[in-house]
Amino acid sequence: MSDPALSPRARLVIALVLAFGIAAIKGLAVLALAVCLAAGVALASGQARLVLRRLRGVAVLASGLLLALSLIVGESVLARVGPLALRQEGLEAGVLIAVRLLSIVALTLALLAPLSPFQLVGALRGLRAPALMADLALLTLRYLDEVSGELRRAHLARRLRGGRTGWRTLREHAGVLATGLIRAQARSERVWAAMRLRGYNSGLAMPVAPLRAMDWVCMGGALLAALGIIWLDRIF
Amino acid sequence: MHLPDGIVPIEFALAGYGASAAMAALALSRIKALPDPDAEIPRVAMLTTVFFAASLVAIPVPPTSVHLMLAGLMGVMLGWFAVPAILVGLFLQAVLFGHGGITTLGLNGVILGLPALMAFGIWRIGARRWPDIAGFVAGSGAVMAALAIFSAIVLAGLPVTLDASAERVALGVFLLAHLPLAVAEGVVVMALLRVLRRVEPRLLPHV
Repeated sequence: MSDPALSPRARLVIALVLAFGIAAIKGLAVLALAVCLAAGVALASGQARLVLRRLRGVAVLASGLLLALSLIVGESVLARVGPLALRQEGLEAGVLIAVRLLSIVALTLALLAPLSPFQLVGALRGLRAPALMADLALLTLRYLDEVSGELRRAHLARRLRGGRTGWRTLREHAGVLATGLIRAQARSERVWAAMRLRGYNSGLAMPVAPLRAMDWVCMGGALLAALGIIWLDRIF
Repeated sequence: MHLPDGIVPIEFALAGYGASAAMAALALSRIKALPDPDAEIPRVAMLTTVFFAASLVAIPVPPTSVHLMLAGLMGVMLGWFAVPAILVGLFLQAVLFGHGGITTLGLNGVILGLPALMAFGIWRIGARRWPDIAGFVAGSGAVMAALAIFSAIVLAGLPVTLDASAERVALGVFLLAHLPLAVAEGVVVMALLRVLRRVEPRLLPHV
């Protein structure tokens, strides 16, 4: 993976700062600004298509929350359709939560999803995350595809062999999971032996590159943007 | 059982980060006291990968299907390592899949981490004499504890302008809807631990 224009560490800091800035919004007045900010980050990162694709699941959740809150919460009725009443307080709360959720997820994906596992874990180490957690993250990412594939094949084999349905599947699922865990134990012994032979000494992540001028400028800009959103939210 | 971004006040999200940091610091201090903590990293990572992948599988539990939480099983099998493993898993889910939340990572860490540690305690106390009961209680108890913490956070984070009684009713329905998950998880954990005790007891501490 090529070097991103912004360092991975800067991307993680910017994502956190902007996410918390948007999460701090309490009124509806600056929501449009939050949407513009998230859209701007997604477009600037060149990941707009990826973000839109990955937002589908989150959009379903946001819509569900909006609908539930609008119909259940509040006293002031805006409209009625049969037994259902659209309530103003619930609608406002739902819009606030839905827009915050979608904006935060969009900018998180835009900034962090393009990073390779090595870069992501390097960013964590650069922010002083404990080496143990960084190494856990790297090894988990490294083997996630393999293990997911094994579990999928095991579940398919169970179904093809006429696996039971209903509550009786629970013991069979427990068996599949147990097999996966036993294989994981065996794999971990091989991995540990390989790590020792290659001179492992607490730290698999790549060395952390120093921050560049562009990184500092962007992090500063993100902090100003987050503080600006919060300030505008408080005064309007 | 994840809290998504934007749903709780910012003060709660920041407090969640503080609480998770404290929990992680405690767990890491216990881990450092082990004879060779580095040697455990590959095992914990491989098991975490299995838990991560397994939680994505939908298991049919009539009339619906559920995704197992597996926090109880992680607590039983990983002990103190469950806390960093859960935090790492939540971070990767938020960043790679947009699932869970980046601002609510701390709170989600508490929602899953505390029940995992509770399950670890239950297993340590009951595994030798009543392994099946301890397994079931660890699995289903972790789900109930996570539900309780989740509900408490959501209720406490309600804006004062919103109708608390309607929210309580909704949470009550939410809790009832998760009872089948609690039972299913208890059964799966009990059955799984039974297999591991017979075939690979090295995977289970305190037996």
